[in-house]
Amino acid sequence: MGAPDRATIFPALAAILAGAGATLALLLAETQWHVAVVALAGVAALLIGGRAGFGDAIHRSVASHHRVTSATSWLAGAVVVFLLREHNFELLMLCTVMLYVLAGLGLTVQFGFAGVVNFAAAAFMGVGAYTAAVLMTSTGLPHLVVVLAAGVVTALIGSVLLLPLLRTRGHYAALITIAFGILFRTFLEVNDTLGGPQGLKVPGLQIFGYAFNEAIEFDDETEWSFYTAYAGVFLVVLGLAYTLVRRVERSWMGLALDAVRLDETAASAFGLNGAAWKIAAFSFGNFLAGIAGALYAILTAFIAPASFTFGDSLLLLSIVILGGLGNPLGLLPAALVVVVLPEKLQVIQEYRFLLFAALVILILLLRPGGLMPRRAREYFPGRSS
Amino acid sequence: MDPALFAQHLLNGVMLGVIYALVAVGFTLFFGVLDVIKFSHGDVVMLGAFTALATSIAASAAGLSSPVILAAMLLAAIVGMALVGMLMARYLVLPLRNAPTLNVLLVTLMAGTVIREGVRLFYPQGSNPKPFPRLLPTGAFEFGAFTLRHDSIVLLVLGVGAIVFVHLLIVRTRLGLAIRAVAQDPETAAAMGIPFRGTVLATFAIGSALAALAGVVNGLYYSEVSFNMGLLLGAIGFSAAVIGGLGNVYGAILGGFVFAALQTIGAVALPFASAYKDVFAFGVVILLMAWKPGGLLAERSAERV
Amino acid sequence: MSSTARALLAVLLATASLASAKDTVRIAFIGPLTGGVSANGLGGRNSAELAVKLRNADAKAKYSYELMALDDECKPNVGVQVATKAAADKNVIAAVAHYCSTVAMGTVDVYHRFGLPVVIWGAVLPDITYANDFKEIHRVNGTMINQNETAAKFMVAQKYKRWAIIHDTTDYGKGHNRYFSEYLQKNGGQILGTFGVTADQQDFSAELTRIKELKPEVIYFGGITPLGVRIRSQMDKFGVKAVFQGTSGIISDAFVEGLGPLAEGVVAFREGAPAEKLPGGKYFIEQYAKAAYSDPPEAYGPFAFAAANLVMDAVEKVGPDRKKVRNELNRTHDYDSVVGKISFDDHRQNAVPLITKFVVQGGKWLVWEDSEYASGKRPLVR
Repeated sequence: MGAPDRATIFPALAAILAGAGATLALLLAETQWHVAVVALAGVAALLIGGRAGFGDAIHRSVASHHRVTSATSWLAGAVVVFLLREHNFELLMLCTVMLYVLAGLGLTVQFGFAGVVNFAAAAFMGVGAYTAAVLMTSTGLPHLVVVLAAGVVTALIGSVLLLPLLRTRGHYAALITIAFGILFRTFLEVNDTLGGPQGLKVPGLQIFGYAFNEAIEFDDETEWSFYTAYAGVFLVVLGLAYTLVRRVERSWMGLALDAVRLDETAASAFGLNGAAWKIAAFSFGNFLAGIAGALYAILTAFIAPASFTFGDSLLLLSIVILGGLGNPLGLLPAALVVVVLPEKLQVIQEYRFLLFAALVILILLLRPGGLMPRRAREYFPGRSS
Repeated sequence: MDPALFAQHLLNGVMLGVIYALVAVGFTLFFGVLDVIKFSHGDVVMLGAFTALATSIAASAAGLSSPVILAAMLLAAIVGMALVGMLMARYLVLPLRNAPTLNVLLVTLMAGTVIREGVRLFYPQGSNPKPFPRLLPTGAFEFGAFTLRHDSIVLLVLGVGAIVFVHLLIVRTRLGLAIRAVAQDPETAAAMGIPFRGTVLATFAIGSALAALAGVVNGLYYSEVSFNMGLLLGAIGFSAAVIGGLGNVYGAILGGFVFAALQTIGAVALPFASAYKDVFAFGVVILLMAWKPGGLLAERSAERV
Repeated sequence: MSSTARALLAVLLATASLASAKDTVRIAFIGPLTGGVSANGLGGRNSAELAVKLRNADAKAKYSYELMALDDECKPNVGVQVATKAAADKNVIAAVAHYCSTVAMGTVDVYHRFGLPVVIWGAVLPDITYANDFKEIHRVNGTMINQNETAAKFMVAQKYKRWAIIHDTTDYGKGHNRYFSEYLQKNGGQILGTFGVTADQQDFSAELTRIKELKPEVIYFGGITPLGVRIRSQMDKFGVKAVFQGTSGIISDAFVEGLGPLAEGVVAFREGAPAEKLPGGKYFIEQYAKAAYSDPPEAYGPFAFAAANLVMDAVEKVGPDRKKVRNELNRTHDYDSVVGKISFDDHRQNAVPLITKFVVQGGKWLVWEDSEYASGKRPLVR
């Protein structure tokens, strides 16, 4: 082995195509049969693909053709959105998946990269959501600024937890975030200034005078769902965040974060300031969660404390773990499983969570490291060492 | 405050503390041997309570007397949950031993969901709260505003007895020695001839049996059980175990009482509305962790480098 | 293809076309089918399903109906999702929706945007119908305002003076607390203390010990069955002797079953006529029993049944067209249902004139006037 030649591009393209196809198939599956077939195909692909070493081939291929594959991924995302342009509900689900992936990216930076646990992701999304709701209704700030501000405010509120978080580690740190999550929800519910348990209405997005909540009409015949515009914006935001996180991961910063996570004492012996890196990672992760929360509030047009519970935090955590801790790419299939699958199981009504939980257990027993476990860092991407 | 009233609040807090401590000890035992958090623990508490409930219904249909029913339901719940705990350890936790510890958390979280939804859907009308039989004497000693119920005394003795029993089990027996050895260093323990797998299974059996007992005590104390009672109990038990210091049985007990005290103080002595008591309790938890990052009874050991 | 196979296919096709001689109209049902309040959601779902089944068995019906049941988990974000699912599906003509008020608050805009006519069957927050003027939103059950006005007047008339209030901190409990406190003070009742508790709280020893010290005559509880069972049961444990007064949220078989003899003498109030008093209501109870569902209809089952029938009657009259159905529903006046006459006001809220008072006697919820408590044979507090 050790050949310096570049891998072919086809496995990467095939993977992107399969990913887009699977997303579409799962979103559009209607009946019990369709859902079962798509789910079985997914499991089969996982098992066969894992055994046959497709994963490695795809990985090498992506690493060798970085620009082309990322451009193709953007294109594939845009095509999926375009194909769903008249499907309101499927677009809403797609938007939800994208925002959960965005928040998941934040969590990945926090405990995938830096090893700082966060069991209150939904609470931080909630902070972003409420910030956006308040700013949009009571100030005339441009909405793009509002969304960014929501991210910043979330990071600031998160910094309240920094002192205890830096002093503790592992499950002790987990308890701090759990306590914060429960405290946040109870406070919103008991205190009526922010709508109390009844919740708040959130206006639609407006960017440069364009109102997103209006359906896109071309003529009497063709009308696109208003969610198309949202999906487009979310795709851009998610793409930017994903690229940023990937860049961070591959850079010296990612290396420093890995070092701090794996052995803080050794890292500090090499002159790395562990606390500073943890603060940076925790704040950046909360910034992303806050933005995801703000966009989620705008998307669903309504927020209430009941949407940001400890259970929702665990749901977000499930996405990150199921995808393979620390691998941003694994977030997409995991979010599809965690967000879309329970929805598709609506056909079995009250039995759906039972089946969903059993399926997740099955996946984890088949793939203990998650759907796409993080790979060891490669210093010369593309070479099959 | 009136001393009788104060005594009453103290007693309420102690009862609550015993239940929390029973749950917390399980968390701390599992963490000790495997460094994992089993998030389904609260749902095992609930399943234990429902096992006891079903047994008592069957037993009273068979015309048995109260003490016999009580014994039967305790036995069924404890043996049943010990088995459930061992099965979970064998088929869910041990297979994921080499995966990141958070994956164990997810798998047990989902196992908890399966248990909870299973009881809700398959126990007759399981989505509603169920009355728990009142098998204990119902009389009470009254001292002014202070009421000491007979059943509270029995439950207190039962709970404290179970904790003492587990303590002796860990300190005095060979099994306890094995558990402590595995907790300290599984590889060395294995080299010394202590079976790793067997010890882990035994620990899960003990922890889950305690959960079953907590479920029964809970049911007898409140006379009511419901399918989702485990959610909050699990979260509180975990908090108590962490506050006390994970891996330390005394810490878990202390943590249970601290949490009960926080809740009681929050509801009784706060100057503002009692609805804020959870905000208060969890706020104090954050401060406590900032003050004692390794829990109240942290293991005194230098970090291994 | 062999001739036998061809013949078989022909027969199959013929039966298929016979079966679908009527056009199928799809109606959505939305409620909490999983989670803490799923008992109510399942009761509503079964009742709506029963209405559809009975209609499909009726040869005179012009259409055959299909119920699409969706789970909102009692969470607003999930509610918006399933509401969009129903509303974006062009085959869905109308929906019977929501037990949880927060969820309804979040979804009304979705229905309005997509023009899906909806009849609310259980959510009681006044704002759902009154905060907007959406022609799509109707509600057959009353709001918490009506309920608490009657409750306060009635209890004061029973010569009670001193109350302690426990409410959960959801929109349901907080809303009830607000309206009841308002009407109680207007009618001269005294509130000794108000205690907010979370909906998943287990232990009430601290609250009840404090309440015991306040010595109220009545404990008003704003919340739903699981919490109500817990509090009533612990009142007994801690020796709090007071009348337990609840809201519509505890009028369920589960409440009585969960408490056994302790449920005796608990009073509660619900809008609408008692089902068993109306000819249609008796029919509903019988049919529900006959269908042998594993869960009871609960307090709002009859409303879900009435809502489903209201929707189907509208479809029968004007055909499966959302706009026409909406306009037909808007005009509803003096419609006979299992919960009494339904007439919508200018905000399409059923102007239920009647609030029924209930009390538990002999392990059953009885209408107050029929009970031995009303005739003075039994006192509320023993």
